[in-house]
Amino acid sequence: MSTAAAVQALPKIDIRHLTVNYAEKNHEFTALRDVSFTVEEGEFVSIIGASGCGKSTLLSVLEGLYKQADGEITISGEPLEGTGKERGVVFQHYSLFPWMTTRKNIAFGIAQVRKDLSKKERLAIADTFLEKVGLGDFGNKYPSQLSGGMQQRAAIARALAMDTDILLMDEPFSAIDAKNRIVLQELLLKLWEGNGTEPRKSVVFVTHDIDEAILLSDKIVVLTSHPGTVAEIIPVPFDRPRDRSTLVQSKEYGKFRNHLLHLFYNDIADRIGGEEVVL
Amino acid sequence: MTIVQDAAVAAKPAVKSASGLDLRTRFLRVTHLLFLLLLGVQFLPDHAGVSEPHTVWLIWFAVILEALTLAITPVFKKREGLNLFLDVIGFIYGFLLVWTLLTAKFALLPAALFPPFGKVLAQFAEDLPKICVNIVSSVGIILQGFLLAIVTAIPLGLFLGWNARLGSAATYLSKFFSSIPPIVYIPYGIALLPSFRSVSVFVIFLASFWPVFAGTMSGVLNVESRILDSARVLNVSKPTMLLRVILPASLAQIFLGCNQGLSVSFILLTSAEMIGARDGMGYYVKYYSDFGDYTRTIVGLLVIGIVVIAVTFLFNAFQRYLLRWKR
Repeated sequence: MSTAAAVQALPKIDIRHLTVNYAEKNHEFTALRDVSFTVEEGEFVSIIGASGCGKSTLLSVLEGLYKQADGEITISGEPLEGTGKERGVVFQHYSLFPWMTTRKNIAFGIAQVRKDLSKKERLAIADTFLEKVGLGDFGNKYPSQLSGGMQQRAAIARALAMDTDILLMDEPFSAIDAKNRIVLQELLLKLWEGNGTEPRKSVVFVTHDIDEAILLSDKIVVLTSHPGTVAEIIPVPFDRPRDRSTLVQSKEYGKFRNHLLHLFYNDIADRIGGEEVVL
Repeated sequence: MTIVQDAAVAAKPAVKSASGLDLRTRFLRVTHLLFLLLLGVQFLPDHAGVSEPHTVWLIWFAVILEALTLAITPVFKKREGLNLFLDVIGFIYGFLLVWTLLTAKFALLPAALFPPFGKVLAQFAEDLPKICVNIVSSVGIILQGFLLAIVTAIPLGLFLGWNARLGSAATYLSKFFSSIPPIVYIPYGIALLPSFRSVSVFVIFLASFWPVFAGTMSGVLNVESRILDSARVLNVSKPTMLLRVILPASLAQIFLGCNQGLSVSFILLTSAEMIGARDGMGYYVKYYSDFGDYTRTIVGLLVIGIVVIAVTFLFNAFQRYLLRWKR
């Protein structure tokens, strides 16, 4: 029991001095330099930064897809090695397999973590999660028959149905139109917050949308670019459950948002003078 | 803005006429005129020098075809589809009309080489049991060789394509082997194998293997990396990766190779059958043309055309079913 307590105290994800160098046409450039932060059990952490700050590289390292990284990463105390069953992933595009219907996509994901379940049981779980993301009537549709927002709902349903401790999300809503993005953010928030009966998942959420990061996160890691380094790690001071409309109207929200914007623009201002700036 | 409006105005009448096909566009067509003309021509007296013109057979054929055409016509919802269908039928009527005039009615072509179409039909009916045996033989050989190629080339292509280092060497090897026209394997096949049938299966296997193999390899090598990443983060096992991710992701390219293999197979088999077989459609054509029986030769040609179209149609339907998830 004492060991369990010790494990409990460990951060879920511990990243220490992560440095990633890319070799590109004779010259090497540094995508990430000395990045360190932790994600606690049940904590929602957003990583924000301008394009090219290495936030997606950071996530591919955590996904286990990018392996040439220096530094130390542990997941529940264990060193990170490759992909893992305790991490579920939602990409910006193509999380789903186009040749499987949405419910088969989800059942396929479940099959990779729960070999003990029968096909029927897996499909039943898939259906309940489709219901949860509002796709109850779209289980037998192929991804190409769904809108981008619906595809992301299904991708989230799969990640949740796999019931991994950790959820890694790489700009999952940035290709969605503004109106649907708001709907999806609220859906994610609701599903992640849950009803208090189950422990919350640890989430690492990459975005370049400041409002999205504030609404969703417990903690925001701001990266500067070229190379990606941690500018600041800021806990989000707003209570949960959060409501977008009351949140945005509050004075504190404006102040907090300005602070983040300031970090953003400082970074961009540093880079003006030759290089192209993309927000 | 004006451009958009113009486009909308221009598109409107087209949409309307496509959805509402009136009776005139459906039934008052040149195709039906050609049918009546073809029918009328049949009542001209046959030329004295033509033996057994079997005009009744032609009339029956034309009437049944017309009945089917009229029955199918209401099914079409779009003008383009209906036009295409009626044009094809119209071509058949026109062709038969010219054929009838040149052979049975005026005997402008040498009768031995150009039998009247009625005679071809009658001959087809008479030989039907024999023809069926030949079709079964030919299609059986093709299926055996082709399926053998599929069950070996696809797994091998998947495995070698996935192990990319071996894959690139295999690409060059397959380029070399696929550049050998498979027909030149026949003499060696005859030396190796005991019967005509086994040689045919062997040659068709070789001829289909390389395109299917090359299609599978290029399919695997071109699977989108985002699809692979998506599978990797799900921690799929190696067999699952190959069979449930890479295989479906490369299916479109695999089918390209299969289609190529299938069409080469028909060319090869019918050629081979003309060289040394005792049955099969190529044999039927060759055998009767050696006797100067050109009615049966034409029957054979037409039957081969129909069989190839039928097999290709079925295969394409299978392909459309398996790739139904593609938009």
